[in-house]
Amino acid sequence: MTIGDHLDSFHGLPVHTFPVPGAPTDDLPEPDSVAWRITSDVYDADEDWPVAFARFSAAVDTTRVKALVVGAWQEAYETDPSGVIEALLAARDRFPALRAVFLGDIVMEECEISWINQTDVSPLLAGFEALEEFGVRGGTGLEFTALRHGALRKLVVETGGLPVGAVRGIGASDLPALEHLDLWLGTPDYGGDSEAADLEAILSGARLPRLRHLALRNSEMQDAVAAAVAAAPVVDRLEVLDLSMGVLTDEGAGALLSGQPLTHLKKLDLHHHYLSAAVEERVRQTLEAAGVQVDLDRDDAEEDTEDDGTVWRYVAVGE
Amino acid sequence: MSTPSTARPVSPHTGPRFAVVGNPENRRVSLFADAVRAAGLPGPRVVAWRDVLREGGACFAADEIVRIDSPGENSEVDRLLRGDAEPTLVEGSARWYAGFTAALRTLRGGVRLDDPGELAVLFDKRACHGVLARAAVPVPASPTSGPDGAAVRGWDDVRTLMREHRMPRLFVKPAHGSSASGVLAVESGGAGRIRATTSVEIAPGGALHNSLRVRRYDRERDIAAVVDALAPDGLHLERWVPKASQRGRAADLRVVVVDGRATHAVVRTSRTPLTNLHLGGSRGDLAAVRDAVVAAGGRWPDLLEVCERAASCFPGTLCVGVDLLPAVGWRRVFVGEVNAFGDLLPGLTGLPGSGAEDRDTYAAQVAAALRTPAAAGLLPPHRTGTPHA
Repeated sequence: MTIGDHLDSFHGLPVHTFPVPGAPTDDLPEPDSVAWRITSDVYDADEDWPVAFARFSAAVDTTRVKALVVGAWQEAYETDPSGVIEALLAARDRFPALRAVFLGDIVMEECEISWINQTDVSPLLAGFEALEEFGVRGGTGLEFTALRHGALRKLVVETGGLPVGAVRGIGASDLPALEHLDLWLGTPDYGGDSEAADLEAILSGARLPRLRHLALRNSEMQDAVAAAVAAAPVVDRLEVLDLSMGVLTDEGAGALLSGQPLTHLKKLDLHHHYLSAAVEERVRQTLEAAGVQVDLDRDDAEEDTEDDGTVWRYVAVGE
Repeated sequence: MSTPSTARPVSPHTGPRFAVVGNPENRRVSLFADAVRAAGLPGPRVVAWRDVLREGGACFAADEIVRIDSPGENSEVDRLLRGDAEPTLVEGSARWYAGFTAALRTLRGGVRLDDPGELAVLFDKRACHGVLARAAVPVPASPTSGPDGAAVRGWDDVRTLMREHRMPRLFVKPAHGSSASGVLAVESGGAGRIRATTSVEIAPGGALHNSLRVRRYDRERDIAAVVDALAPDGLHLERWVPKASQRGRAADLRVVVVDGRATHAVVRTSRTPLTNLHLGGSRGDLAAVRDAVVAAGGRWPDLLEVCERAASCFPGTLCVGVDLLPAVGWRRVFVGEVNAFGDLLPGLTGLPGSGAEDRDTYAAQVAAALRTPAAAGLLPPHRTGTPHA
């Protein structure tokens, strides 16, 4: 699977794409009623992203804008969004109401997730101290320098391979308001070089006192992640645990079930898994009876078995 | 060339009559025959490609309305057209093309619904692209377009053209391929990354096969091996326009144009860059496409007009199937290909307002063929006017 659709909502608001150059702007929605998607093109851009952003800033009352979705920037397959981040930081005084930013709403046909170049995104967060929600797509070159951010409630990092440096940087950050953390760990093929031990700072929960929703997913080492989660202190405070989209097999699910009780969860998401029917049933019996909503949709998780018996299993979003 | 032995048919029927050159066992032929009979006419005379090729041609009566259909999906015909290549081999398309265009020239007489010269263009993607570009039909940029296009002798030439034309992402297509046969979607990025998505499979011995599974190659030497093997048959390069999506799948449209009017359309969606239905693509939602076009500030009739403009480059061909590529965001469209035999959409009725609302693509063509002056002239006086039983 790949990312096929642009975001249609973000930060609880419908996404509205700011019109291309030359298109009418006299019928735009109220500035605070939508999440504004500002986009260039990955290929053959007529207008670089910062220029599109300047056009947007001139056409809309930026003091009322709550949410921005950064779409494609020019040549994202070999250019990181430093220019995008600079443009946003330079404009921060004109966006006092901005609470949410998504960096890189780019779909497969534009540039596949593992090809999107990223950079250190911490300066963006540091620059927007009131930001409550931040999302980023693409793992190549992605860095997350450890920081303290007092307002951030939701952090989403979508990758086909999340570099270990970024994993550790997030773990070392003080995020006292963070309620929702969603990391797509990906595969080593696409730069996902962390190990389960690198998640320890996150799993301790020491710097994440308000965490309620933890997703550590889309991982080739989903079994090891599940085993680590099974004994993690942070689980106690969670309402939603999401280990979906990865290569979760009976081994990981077994470790999860034999660890600390999960019956306090509202939801356990394991969709896109490689569990046997027997283990699926065990998960259901253990948790559904306790009132936990369990998502065990196999989705498009399909094994390939070669003639020599080698079995290939895939994460949901790699490429 | 031997004398065609196909007997000129003698029929007591005095109204219009059809003939079809095709593979008799193929459903394209039976669907067309059904449409002819549904119009109250006797079934068409079926002239088998196999016989045309073995006997060196076929003749048609001056009043026979002749449809040419695909010679595909018949291994014997394929072998006769290519000379003895294995049918799943990707290579050999140049021989196939030479055989096919030569065979077209052996068909004589009749009222023709297809023009051999235009078919020769439609089955050469470089020539077709050139014709469309000269007619100002929006097409993805191509360095191999038309008679002045660059020749591609192998992967090194592809690399050079990618660099010179700033095309880091492109489609590499056999000039004479059909469906997605032999097509590679190639993308290159920083740090020497490269990837090709294709249905071509490299067999253990190094031979190339078409498969029904889309696979990816990310080692340049594998990609080079595939391209080098395909290149002697001719290659067409085209910029990969990022396609719009529908429910998470890349979408394009197949629009059938009959006698100048866009009559039928389907949406094809896929999780890979190749949307062909036999490669795991599926039909999408046409109404949702219209909505998306309108939401992006466009007009649906404008899309159909682009298809009709593409078809008008082939005035001697009654029906073509246009592959229309909506660019990401639904704000622009490009014509990907124009297909001579792009009408196999069984059971699909026409677009509202197209005049083919109750007709499938075959019935629409029969009706259009009967409207042409040549065909109308064939109607004896007592058959004109209101039809009767």
